[in-house]
Amino acid sequence: MDTIKAFIRKSRAKSPWLLHFDCGSCNGCDIEVLACLTPVYDIERFGIINVGNPKHADLLLVTGTVNHRNKKVLANLAEQMPDPKIVVALGSCGLTGGIFREAYNVIGGVDKIIPVDVYVPGCPPKPEAIIDGVVTGLEKFAEKKGDKS
Amino acid sequence: MLNTLLFILILGPFIAAALCYFVRISHIRSFIVLAMGCLLAVTSILLFTKAPFSHTPPPLLNIPIHWWIIWGDDGLLLTMLYYGFKHRHLFTKILIIFQIVALDYFELFMVDHSKTFPLFFADNLSLIMVLIISIVGPLICVFAIPYMNKHEEHQGLKKSRQPKFFAFLVMIIGAMNGLVLSNNIIFMYVFFEVTTLGSFMLISHDRTETALKNAVRALWMNCLAGAAFIVAMILAYITQGTVDAQELIRGGHMGGIMLTPLALLCFAGMVKAAQIPFQSWLLGAMVAPTPTSALLHSSTMVKAGAYIALRFAPGYAGTFLSQSLAVCGAFTFLATSAMAVSQSNGKKVLAYSTIGNLGLIFACAGINTPEAITAGILLIIFHAFSKALLFLCVGDIEQHIGSRDIEVMRGLYAKMPRTTLIAILGMVTMMLPPFGVLLSKWMALEAASKHLFVMVLLAVGSALMVMYWARWAGILLSAPYGSHVEPERQGVLTRLPLLALVGGAVVLSLCAPLLYSNLVAPILSAPSFSVRAGIFENPTGAFLLYPVILVLALGFIYAVYAAKKAQKARTSGPYLCGAQTTDPESFEGPMRKPVAVSSGAYYFESIFGEQRLTVWFNVCGGMLVALLIGGAL
Amino acid sequence: MIRGVILVIIGAVAAPLLGGLIAGVDRRLTAWLQSRYGPPIWQPFFDVIKLFGKERLVVNGWQVFCAHVYITATMLSVVLFFLQSDLLLILFVQAFGAIFLVIGAFSTTSPYSQVGANRELIQILTYEPLIVLVFVGIYLVTGSFKISEILAQTKPLLVSLPLLYIVLCYALTIKLRKSPFDFSTSHHAHQELVKGFLTEYSGRYLALVEIGHWYEVVLILGLCSLFWATSWIGVLVLVGVTYLCEILIDNIMARMTWQWMLGYVWTMGLAMSFVNLIWLHGR
Repeated sequence: MDTIKAFIRKSRAKSPWLLHFDCGSCNGCDIEVLACLTPVYDIERFGIINVGNPKHADLLLVTGTVNHRNKKVLANLAEQMPDPKIVVALGSCGLTGGIFREAYNVIGGVDKIIPVDVYVPGCPPKPEAIIDGVVTGLEKFAEKKGDKS
Repeated sequence: MLNTLLFILILGPFIAAALCYFVRISHIRSFIVLAMGCLLAVTSILLFTKAPFSHTPPPLLNIPIHWWIIWGDDGLLLTMLYYGFKHRHLFTKILIIFQIVALDYFELFMVDHSKTFPLFFADNLSLIMVLIISIVGPLICVFAIPYMNKHEEHQGLKKSRQPKFFAFLVMIIGAMNGLVLSNNIIFMYVFFEVTTLGSFMLISHDRTETALKNAVRALWMNCLAGAAFIVAMILAYITQGTVDAQELIRGGHMGGIMLTPLALLCFAGMVKAAQIPFQSWLLGAMVAPTPTSALLHSSTMVKAGAYIALRFAPGYAGTFLSQSLAVCGAFTFLATSAMAVSQSNGKKVLAYSTIGNLGLIFACAGINTPEAITAGILLIIFHAFSKALLFLCVGDIEQHIGSRDIEVMRGLYAKMPRTTLIAILGMVTMMLPPFGVLLSKWMALEAASKHLFVMVLLAVGSALMVMYWARWAGILLSAPYGSHVEPERQGVLTRLPLLALVGGAVVLSLCAPLLYSNLVAPILSAPSFSVRAGIFENPTGAFLLYPVILVLALGFIYAVYAAKKAQKARTSGPYLCGAQTTDPESFEGPMRKPVAVSSGAYYFESIFGEQRLTVWFNVCGGMLVALLIGGAL
Repeated sequence: MIRGVILVIIGAVAAPLLGGLIAGVDRRLTAWLQSRYGPPIWQPFFDVIKLFGKERLVVNGWQVFCAHVYITATMLSVVLFFLQSDLLLILFVQAFGAIFLVIGAFSTTSPYSQVGANRELIQILTYEPLIVLVFVGIYLVTGSFKISEILAQTKPLLVSLPLLYIVLCYALTIKLRKSPFDFSTSHHAHQELVKGFLTEYSGRYLALVEIGHWYEVVLILGLCSLFWATSWIGVLVLVGVTYLCEILIDNIMARMTWQWMLGYVWTMGLAMSFVNLIWLHGR
């Protein structure tokens, strides 16, 4: 039983499928995220796939500030991801609301709505930083308990 | 004993019909229908133990049977002529008058009635037909009892028209039994005409404008079949000097002369089975109450056409007629499957599927090898059960939701889970292994593989067929997320036929090897398959029926178990880009207003549209029929 | 008997392993063609095992049911293939699984799933008649639909059925869901309409579907291998070259519309089958 669990843990770390949600970013972070997929950085070598659907995803990558309009969307997406899952907040806005934090419609960082596992600072963070953040998240992901049933 | 059995099977329904018509008390009528149903089913099984036989019954009331038949037929044709005049349809009148003149001349001046030969003949083919007619038919009649009450309630009639409806419904069963048991082709013809009249009356039952129009169309088309039948009889008598069907079949190989009457018989069968270009009468028959459609489509009427083709198949084996019949049938299969894909009207899909399956039977009759004949006969059995079931389901669904449109049935599982599951099972038996229809289709495909053109038509047609069944089954299940599913309430007389038919469809598929080796194999010229441990095998191929059933059944049971276990799992609504509202079936639209999610299936109107294709298919079908008859002249 | 048991085990156990490996190689080669490094060859196995470790998350019980029926049927079709059974039967059993997968997708009201299900039906509609015609061609050469008879041939089928092999490759491309035919769902990052009919399958049920897909890949490649079944080298060369071509086509083609697919594949497929079948008929 333990070997199976260990095996599953290892597989988790090797195959995080990523859902990228732009929560109101200026697109700076998003471009850097996409850069990770290009041949130069090629995150697929870590088994990371950019999926478009929370039901298939393990890792929620959020860029941008959370506002009153999209906080529900963010919560919904996180809710529709099967456990175990990790949330990575990306960029200054995703961490705290960034330069928009004083705006009347802005709530703040991602962790105001859903628990965040890894924070990647930067405006925007470099692709290396993003990959580093995701890989840090993988260790947490591997140890998480899944399958509550 | 045999006399009694034949009397019950053929004349019993006629007597019951008369009782239904004259005793105008609804409870007594229901009782008559139920009692007759049970009696027919038991009698057909008893008759089955006598097989095979050929028999001439003694004169009825001291008058030889053939006189009864002549009088009966003249009465029948005059009744039909009356309706021809009533509805002022010139072509019908001409056809019927031609039939009266030709038949009387033939009967009174040509046929030598002193010649004796068995008037009734039954081999396994006839007995299979009798069993189907006498078991599926009454089940449909039973379903009709509560159905018609509701139907008339819905119409708000002052005076019930049910006596007439049940009279004709029951009568068709007797006529069909007569048709398949007759050996004298004049008898066959008479019963053939009775089904024509019966279908006319049933289609026109609702007396709306469309109903009358469609009924008249059914009448003239079937009269055309009747006329072809008479000409075939006369020509056959001229060449062979007999009206003994067995004699005619044996004489088939005499050479080209016998082909014309056989071709005309096949033509009559094709019209009756609504093959392209004659499909419009059966499609029009959809306006009638659903039990009518169920009866006409599954066990009787259209099957009469297929029966005639299969019955006379040995007579035209290896001829050009046979080949063109195969092409005609396969073409119908393809064309109707294509048109069914464009339909969202559930009953029309069923109608096209019926015509398509009959086309497949005709193709089998045309291919005319033992394998193909096996496929044809098995298809008749399995199709009867599955199709009757589907029609009854659609009828029941229509009375509940007030529509027969497939898109309106979306998510029906949430409203009527039991009927939906039965319907889906019915659809699965129509299209997937290891069920009987597919088994027969497999046999048909393997038998057709030497006929290149037929094979291409069948291959494309069967893919189209799978497409529309799967789409419909999926749509039925497409229930809103988290809806509370509560079994619907249903009367006994509605549920019983449904359960009996679905049980029949599944159990018969399991018994396919038995059906083959006990019923079909004895009537073949050479055994087409060797059956061992549920494996159909011949040099061409092998169908591992029982192993496949076993594995799929295990998988099925485990799947049910897994689905049960998953009930405890966390549920989550469908993915709507995270914008779903508290009701997971709608998303947040402009101004924070919820917008309900809706989706529709593809119906490919631009490719397979009925309007587009019908004309071309009719032209091609007409040419193929011309080829069939012209080639045999 | 023992040989039969061994073949069943090979079919049931080795086939998905092989299928997964093929998927891994596929991803690696695709990465190479895009001048990337690519995931390890074992990546598909990591994916599936991870999916098995995830929480059960369902929209309704029907998907669960259908995913299990799907994998049963695909497994059975591969086992029947290894038992050298009847080609048409194998196709029908495979269709059983494919249809249930579609029904499972239809059972949710998610628009993505619905669109995917409809499109998957079109894909089935497109490739099924072609595969039947390929089998007819095989029948005309060998006189039987049984694989055991095909293996008894002394001359490769490819010699007499070259055009039908191309037709089979069309079916293979559709079944592998490679561009230009990948619109019911798509692999990894292509995700046609957020993964089409797989949208609502998640966790272990998605894993089951994935394994079922591996079975199907093995089945279709197995059908390809029949065309040069006279020697092992022939099989390897033929299947290898075919699969390489598939990957190449996937990478250089754009996704088209379903109308185009139906029209193009049916026209080309039926025409080529006709020509090839008429050759055989003429003999």
